[in-house]
Amino acid sequence: MTLTVGQSLIRVDAEAKVKGKAVYPGDIEMPDMAYMKILFANRPHAIIQRIDVSRAEQLPGVLAVFTAKDVPNNEYGLISPDQPVLCGPGSNKAHADHVRFIGDQVALVVAESEAIAVQAISLIDVDYADLPVVSDPREAMKVQSPRLFPDRDSNVFGHYRIRKGSIENGFKNADVIVEGYYQTPVQEHAYLQPEAGVSYLDEEDRITVVVAGQWVHEDQEQIAHALGLPLEKIRVIYPAIGGAFGGREDMSVQIVLALATYRLSQKGIRRPIKIVWSREESIIGHHKRHAYYIHTRWGASRDGKITAAEVELIADGGAYMYTSTKVLGNATLMCTGPYEIPNVNVDSYAVYTNNIPGGAFRGFGGPQGAFAAELQMDKLAEALDMDPVEIRERNILREGSLLSVGTPLPKGVSMDKVLEACALKAGWVRGARGWQRPVVNQPEQANKKRGIGFACAFKNVGFSFGAPENCWATIELRGKEEIDQAILYHAGAEVGQGAHTAFIQMAAEALGLPFEKIVLVASDTAYTRNSGSVSASRMTFMAGNSIRGAAAQALEKWKNEERPAVATYQYLPPRTTPYDPETGKSEPNFSYGYVAEAVEVEVDVETGQLQVINVICADDVGKAVNPQQVQGQIEGAVVQAAGYGILENFLQKDGLSLTKTLSTYLIPTVLDVPTRVESVILEYPDPIGPFGARGMGEMPYLPFVPALVSAVHNASGCWFDQFPLIPERVLEGLSS
Amino acid sequence: MVTDTHPTLPEFDYFRPESLQEASAFLAQHAGEARPFLGGTDLFVRMRDGALVPRYLVDVKHLEGTDELRFDPQHGLTIGAAVCMNRVIASPEVRRVYPLLAEACRSVASHQLRTRATVVGNVCNASPAGDTIGACLALDGVLNVHGTGGPRQEPLSAFFLGPGKTKLQPGDIVTSIHFPLPPLGCAGTYLKLGRNRLSDLSIVAVTVLAAPDPGLPSGCRFRIVLASVAPVPLVAAQAEEYLANRPVTSDSIAEAARLAGAACKPIDDIRGSARYRKSMVKNLTEKALTAVWNQLHP
Repeated sequence: MTLTVGQSLIRVDAEAKVKGKAVYPGDIEMPDMAYMKILFANRPHAIIQRIDVSRAEQLPGVLAVFTAKDVPNNEYGLISPDQPVLCGPGSNKAHADHVRFIGDQVALVVAESEAIAVQAISLIDVDYADLPVVSDPREAMKVQSPRLFPDRDSNVFGHYRIRKGSIENGFKNADVIVEGYYQTPVQEHAYLQPEAGVSYLDEEDRITVVVAGQWVHEDQEQIAHALGLPLEKIRVIYPAIGGAFGGREDMSVQIVLALATYRLSQKGIRRPIKIVWSREESIIGHHKRHAYYIHTRWGASRDGKITAAEVELIADGGAYMYTSTKVLGNATLMCTGPYEIPNVNVDSYAVYTNNIPGGAFRGFGGPQGAFAAELQMDKLAEALDMDPVEIRERNILREGSLLSVGTPLPKGVSMDKVLEACALKAGWVRGARGWQRPVVNQPEQANKKRGIGFACAFKNVGFSFGAPENCWATIELRGKEEIDQAILYHAGAEVGQGAHTAFIQMAAEALGLPFEKIVLVASDTAYTRNSGSVSASRMTFMAGNSIRGAAAQALEKWKNEERPAVATYQYLPPRTTPYDPETGKSEPNFSYGYVAEAVEVEVDVETGQLQVINVICADDVGKAVNPQQVQGQIEGAVVQAAGYGILENFLQKDGLSLTKTLSTYLIPTVLDVPTRVESVILEYPDPIGPFGARGMGEMPYLPFVPALVSAVHNASGCWFDQFPLIPERVLEGLSS
Repeated sequence: MVTDTHPTLPEFDYFRPESLQEASAFLAQHAGEARPFLGGTDLFVRMRDGALVPRYLVDVKHLEGTDELRFDPQHGLTIGAAVCMNRVIASPEVRRVYPLLAEACRSVASHQLRTRATVVGNVCNASPAGDTIGACLALDGVLNVHGTGGPRQEPLSAFFLGPGKTKLQPGDIVTSIHFPLPPLGCAGTYLKLGRNRLSDLSIVAVTVLAAPDPGLPSGCRFRIVLASVAPVPLVAAQAEEYLANRPVTSDSIAEAARLAGAACKPIDDIRGSARYRKSMVKNLTEKALTAVWNQLHP
């Protein structure tokens, strides 16, 4: 029995956020503050031949203008430092004079006011020599395609292979074969808070950047790398963060703020510097969810057992690597779904283009993989005249099942139970012929047709495929006889998901103290040790285990009468291993969450408009640390996925963005979201999760789009292999 | 005059004239560089985007007659230029006598925006997508204009010349829009197809107003106005005439809808393709005509 864990306690940040008192990066004001603006390239592919900043420098009120030559080590990148901090000539890195997408940064102006900085930006003269634009990754893969990086021999920068069993035998043993070409769209994170931050020199002369991100220590490392400074000279602090969804994994204003503070301090100017991006700058300035092009062929025997799956995945990586190779790794695993398939071939590629870079976004390759896998399952079910839940159950991953990468899942596989819970709740019944889809009541209007669809998925928790994975926590117990107060030091970021409340609940539980006695010091590199990022659904899992370790040791010291009793603990999860280059054999992950979703949709056959009537989302979260927050994550993920599936249409043409505003790129409003979302929270403990918890922030997102497409098919008889299902696309499908 | 230095707006001078005469004189004197403004909901966005860079903004919201919302059972409805859409929607007379206008106003953007946006501003913007324009045209709206030559009237039927282009001349200020009493026993509807269900501009939209008219072979006069499918808000005259001249049946409604679809000249843009728009005009017109006909003959 747990006391604090498992209760829907009020979030620690609720009152400040509701009252508007929480301080986000853009709210920070400091005395004597200067303002920064960035000159973006606004062209997709070019070489910068000359930059003349003299007119900008002479504008009264301008403190400094910085270009590529001012960056000590002009490169950065989460996976590989392939991106210049500032593009332009005179840099110490080869080819840093290349602009590769519209959001490349060219110059920085620091001025007395934002207005002066804006004006100065317009006075910078840049000579560009445009280069041919590469905008389709399928073309970019070809040998004859222009290359983005002259020193690389191909635009392909990532490739994985899976070879399991014999694909030839698999297809030979198949009674039906289904082939599909799928495309998934780009998605913008559209978080409420556009990028912003403040930098200054703190009392210990550290270059301090207050910003919204997902991993303070990674930000610190990237800044130190680009500035050529030791880590301890850089400090990163997160105040309140207005959403992230993966969009803050990579750098936005972090390095340039630190650079400006560094260079100005060398001139003897020690003033805080602030920058706030407009929505338009945010939309071109940070990465997007990758567009994927998927060609796949699956075979099954008459009894519904899948015999073979062959998949080719091509990811549009955009101009720089960001986390593309990691996203691709996940998609490569997820593209055959939560099913045990004896014969699998997968070839996946990540490719440079002059589009806005693809990168981390809730689901991290999972949604793209799930779309193809789940539609293949539905089409096989149709070909075999079998119920879609029935065929899934016959192939589903169970305890001991071998993944496509040839190894079993970690213990605690609950996919079958999750599938069953969701199917029953959605009205499926088990008859003599197995599962049977409910008959949906049709509305009276002749132009409205309703249908119901089903999909399931699994999502890794934690960094995968051998990426170093660990998490630190420090706990300090204060008091004399009794513990008066426990201070938890943790770097983990609160991006709106409720992580900090969960940390405190888990600390209270582990220490046997009331919630109110825990004080959290978070997300400041000066006081906390590396937690890893808030991504990969990992933070509750990783932080919980680190907090439990630190709590046990602190209590031990308390018993030994240390005052204060301080313990620092590093949690190390079971090791994972990378893809074998030939076969893909690996131990990809140490934990998973399992999810199934049923979607009921109403199709207006006259206009092509869709309305999602009901969503049932069953998630095995292991243990709901705070059930209300879990429900919030499920509903939030479903709404975001509904935007992805129906409405959000990010358009790029020849490397230019056609949807740079939230009036052209629409996200769901309150009238567009699913009418009803039912969260089914299941708790089959993860044997190594803290209190049994699994990560769950991403998984409700994964099955939504395929379940939606399945529902539209159930209503209309049409398959859609591309989305978003905007009315025009739906109507075209219906009439063809 | 105050100089605005907000970094995201180009610099402009704000001018608040004391009288209509002063406003007209100023606007005429600064033709091409001065603009009157009301709610500013469209203007400021376009200025921020750099699409409009007026040197002067002339605030006319306080001038004589711009604030009144008046219904006269003998003469009809007058809506001042400065009356925001939420006031129009809330007016009991509008809801009772001109429900079509209230319905059209309710479809504009969001509640917050409608506390600033005005019907007159929507009309003067002359966007082919203007949500209230169809209702204003179908209800035979007439603009009261103050120009350098004094007051005059501009019927809406001949007002729109192109996207953003109208018959207004430098010095003109629209002080209000007037609607005569609607035809007895009329019914109307506004069907708007947007990419989302709140706040977007229309992909296409159809306004239909119908009233019994014993003088016509059909016994009923239909008004049909289409949005977002031509350079100007488009009156589907051919379809109207077709329906006027024969008994109203589901077949004649379908044919009128086809004629409306054929009459429009949409373009491809980010909200939808020309092809989709044409077919949606047909579908929505048929639906709107049927709905209104059923309202008249319950």
